[in-house]
Amino acid sequence: MSQKDSFVKFEKVDKSYDGEILVVKDLNLDVPKGEFLTMLGPSGSGKTTVLMMLAGFETPTNGEIYLDGNPISSIPPNKRGIGMVFQNYALFPHMTVKENLAFPLEVRKMEQSEIDKKVSNALAMVELQDFGNRMPLQLSGGQQQRVALARSLVFEPRLVLMDEPLGALDKNLREQMQYEIKHIHEKIGITVVYVTHDQSEALTMSNRIAVFNDGKIQQISSPDVLYEKPNSSFVAQFIGENNQLRGKVKSISGENCIITTDSGDDVHALKININNNGDGSLVSLRPERVAINSSENFENNFEAKVKELIYLGDHIRSRVEVCGNDQFIVKIPNSYKGANLKEGATVKLSWKASDSRALDLN
Amino acid sequence: MSQVQTSTGPILTTDGIPLKVSLKKAERKNKIRAFLLVLPLLSFILITFLVPIGDMLSRSIDDRQINTVFPKTFEVYKKWDRQGLPSEEVYKTMFFEVKNSEGYDIGKASTRMNYSKSGWKSLLKKSKRKFKKIEEGPYKEKMISIDKKWGDPEYWKALGQMVDPTTMGYYLNAVDLKYDSNKNIVQQKENRRIYNKTWIKTFKVSILVTFFCLILGYPISYLLATLPLKYSNLLMICVLLPFWTSLLVRTVAWMVMLQQKGVLNNLLVMSNVLADENRMQLMYNQTAVVIVMTQILLPFMVLPLFSVMKTISPTYMRAALNLGASPLHAFYKVYMPNSIPGVSAGCLLVFIIAIGYYITPELVGGKDGQMVGNWIAYHLKTTLNWGLCASLGAILLAMMTVLYWAYNKIVGIENIKLG
Amino acid sequence: MKRAIKAAFFGLISIAFVGSAIADITFVSWGGAYTASQQKAYIDTYSKGSSITVENYNGGLGEIKAQVEAGNVTWDVVDVLPDQAITGCDEGLFAKVDQSSFINDMVVPPVSECVVPQIFWAYTAFYSKSAFPGKKPKNIKDFFDVKKFPGKRGIHTWANALIEMALVADGVKAKNVYKVMSTPEGIDRAFAKLDTIKDHVVFWSAGSKPLELVSSGEVVMSLAYNGRIGAAILSEGKDFEYIWDATVLEQEYLVAIKGGNEKEALEFMAHASTAQALADQAKYIPYGPMRKSSIGIIKKGEPWFIKEGGNIDILPHMPTAPKVLKRAVIADPVWWADNGAEVSERFGAWKGN
Ligand SMILES: Nc1ncnc2c1ncn2[C@@H]1O[C@H](COP(=O)(O)OP(=O)(O)O)[C@@H](O)[C@H]1O
Ligand SMILES: [Mg+2]
Repeated sequence: MSQKDSFVKFEKVDKSYDGEILVVKDLNLDVPKGEFLTMLGPSGSGKTTVLMMLAGFETPTNGEIYLDGNPISSIPPNKRGIGMVFQNYALFPHMTVKENLAFPLEVRKMEQSEIDKKVSNALAMVELQDFGNRMPLQLSGGQQQRVALARSLVFEPRLVLMDEPLGALDKNLREQMQYEIKHIHEKIGITVVYVTHDQSEALTMSNRIAVFNDGKIQQISSPDVLYEKPNSSFVAQFIGENNQLRGKVKSISGENCIITTDSGDDVHALKININNNGDGSLVSLRPERVAINSSENFENNFEAKVKELIYLGDHIRSRVEVCGNDQFIVKIPNSYKGANLKEGATVKLSWKASDSRALDLN
Repeated sequence: MSQVQTSTGPILTTDGIPLKVSLKKAERKNKIRAFLLVLPLLSFILITFLVPIGDMLSRSIDDRQINTVFPKTFEVYKKWDRQGLPSEEVYKTMFFEVKNSEGYDIGKASTRMNYSKSGWKSLLKKSKRKFKKIEEGPYKEKMISIDKKWGDPEYWKALGQMVDPTTMGYYLNAVDLKYDSNKNIVQQKENRRIYNKTWIKTFKVSILVTFFCLILGYPISYLLATLPLKYSNLLMICVLLPFWTSLLVRTVAWMVMLQQKGVLNNLLVMSNVLADENRMQLMYNQTAVVIVMTQILLPFMVLPLFSVMKTISPTYMRAALNLGASPLHAFYKVYMPNSIPGVSAGCLLVFIIAIGYYITPELVGGKDGQMVGNWIAYHLKTTLNWGLCASLGAILLAMMTVLYWAYNKIVGIENIKLG
Repeated sequence: MKRAIKAAFFGLISIAFVGSAIADITFVSWGGAYTASQQKAYIDTYSKGSSITVENYNGGLGEIKAQVEAGNVTWDVVDVLPDQAITGCDEGLFAKVDQSSFINDMVVPPVSECVVPQIFWAYTAFYSKSAFPGKKPKNIKDFFDVKKFPGKRGIHTWANALIEMALVADGVKAKNVYKVMSTPEGIDRAFAKLDTIKDHVVFWSAGSKPLELVSSGEVVMSLAYNGRIGAAILSEGKDFEYIWDATVLEQEYLVAIKGGNEKEALEFMAHASTAQALADQAKYIPYGPMRKSSIGIIKKGEPWFIKEGGNIDILPHMPTAPKVLKRAVIADPVWWADNGAEVSERFGAWKGN
């Protein structure tokens, strides 16, 4: 990869706190300049640890991190020039909003006039011009969030890290802030490494998403690829809604394969990460890719029993039993066909082999 | 309907009662309930705190004792021009009031009179005994022949200080002033000027102790607050250990440590750091008072500091570092300001306790051992001069109030935090 | 059966009533070996019905006055110093006592009408024999002479006895001390003498401290309560030596607090002030009885002081022994009641300068 492409580079990074458990294992990651990269994963998967190593508050047990081509493990956190938004904002409670924003500029010994200008620009950027003289505790959660964001950007760092910055906000505010952060990122073109455990947040905001589990990156791709083409059952489960059919590999032919489910049905699917006949596998399938009572026939056609219907306005969520799985979800558009469904009815489900992915049994 | 509400008249509730009236009524119930809830505490404080303080304040100026014992004498005394000796009439009235006095009032009065002029006590006692045998005048002559003191104008002039039912005398006494025989305020005799020095010493020691407690307590508390729980608990026990032993035992332990033939000096001599004849004088002086009191009062600094520091999220420091501040700058600009509530609580607490301390200074202070508290204890127990005790106490109280007020002005009392 | 229970029940109640007809009394003293000697000499042997609770205090009239003023008297008999005996009696804190049974048997007349006699105790100087292998200090002049006998001196933090000793060291005859002290020049003279040792003193305030100071070598000689020195020599075998010169004798009395259980208190005090009781006390602590006839009892009974492995003669350790008394100053509580506060303040100023 070229210099430009790998602005941040993790090379074989391991991290252990206690000398027994590796919370980050053999991490290799390249973040190009200007990218919005999200680390997504369940709680405890090591995301914060990665961020802390990058910010300089933890040292890698092994491996090296490069920033703009230079190794940074010997640079103390205050010399790294990396902005950071902490989960609880970490606004200094004894300083006004303006003083908070001026802090990084003052430690850099800037002229007062320069500081004033930058602070007011930063306040304008997050639309808090009238709140400069308030104390942080006099602001709402969303406003504090925006101050924290402005503070992390005001000294124009090369890189900004955000550790679940929206975790404490309610849903509406969170969505609004997601948009604002994204907007600011696009406007100033800064590199962002963003941490969240909320997959929809990750999908909305990121250029690329690195899915973490157990200290390892499971898959790193753009949101659409991640959603459409998960390459492990963990990713498939973690991102978006997902139906799973458990079975064994019956035959493999090139790109395709047939999986026999535990109930004895043969399912046609794409071969993703299975290797041998007889291996266990999970077939993954997005609910919206299943047609109900379709006149068309795809590679997979099964009879199913409707167990439960949930009315959601624009669509109806229906839980059905098919191929031995009674947690199978189908999303039915609220059109004429769907409106006639009854619980207990038997329906025909069909889907393409190219929409179902035969994955590992994890 | 909306017209009614937007007009300028009072806003009404659904029942047509003005909203304000209705609100007040609803709130009154709450107020009464709140009052009833605090009533037990209120009366407790009233009885155990306010009443004694009121009693103390009144004692510090109360001077009726003698007026009730010698009412007639004071009548005629007032006419005296305070030159030479009083007239026969004053002597005569005094004579009969002493002779005819019953009960213990005269004993109490003599204790009080002795504060103004040493010697009154035995003079009255003796006179009461001897006056019985005297039947007729001239009283002046006979009284002087019983005891020369009756012929000493100083005794008579001292009475002048007690004419009024209230006196500032105790307060004057507490700051090395006094009334002279003409009721002018003058300095106390040079060799009795003791209180101002004691006040200064008391403040000096208290400030030093507070300062050292802060210097020693701050890093410890910081460590305690940032260490993982299992270590911090152990360390906390070490800090609190002094609380578990009696004050006296601790003080004596320090004496064993610090005296000239004590552990510390012995060690220094044994390791040839000090020559045997150059042993340091660490005990029985102000250094010892400061050292021992610092150790004893340290927990009062550490506890509030710790509990405040515990609430300072470590991410503040991280954020400051992340924003480019050096660790020192971050500590100074971010951590310290946030720990100020603990610092002020600790300092105020230690200072207030230190200023009234007296056991430790007495035991380890040697000739410098007397703080204001020691004089209060002395007069409380030995001379029974409770008026002076009260005035010393009232001055202490006033100083604390001023300190508190100044503190409130400068730092703001809402910034004090014990946890 | 029922009847028997009933009878027993009423029996118990009546016993309880009879029992409470004689009130119990609280006896308050200074604690330590001193109170232990009182306990053994006349509290344990008291059989007039009142059971006696012993409490300790640190002297002074403060608590007593507070109890009497509040009308809540919990102390009945208190062991007091003479100037407090005077003030307390004058102010009506103590009950008057019938003194006819002992007034003619006393070494000095009682200081007030409210007291029964106890003992003389004394401030006296002492040293450790090992501190002076050669020439030994013999009198109070030597105590005040830091050229002849270099080294630190232990003195107490209050003025009593120091003024008297300083004057004797300065050449005043023991019997003239209070005459001199009653003039302003006399006090000045005492303080001037104190000035000469000021840079060589270590102050103590707890009674056990001077013994430690001398034992550890922190000071070469010290003033102390004679009973403490005696106990250290007699019971612990310390090599201490008294300087029986200008020994200042202080009196100790019992008083009954007004408003307490006065009747029982006075009865107990009569028991506690017999010549025999005072002599018995000297079996346990070397203080001098205030009653003349007690000395006779002790003389006849020597060796009097009770010790494991053989009793010991007590008279040489008593501040009232004739040869001690000859050179002693008997403290004048009246002078101290008059002048105590003023001298204390001056002494405080002296210490602080
Ligand atoms: N300071 C620390 N000391 C010891 N273990 C830690 C520390 N911080 C995190 N861990 C452990 O490391 C693992 C990863 O934690 P973290 O990076 O915080 O995960 P995430 O941010 O994904 O929730 C967890 O098992 C956590 O318990
Ligand atoms: Mg985390």
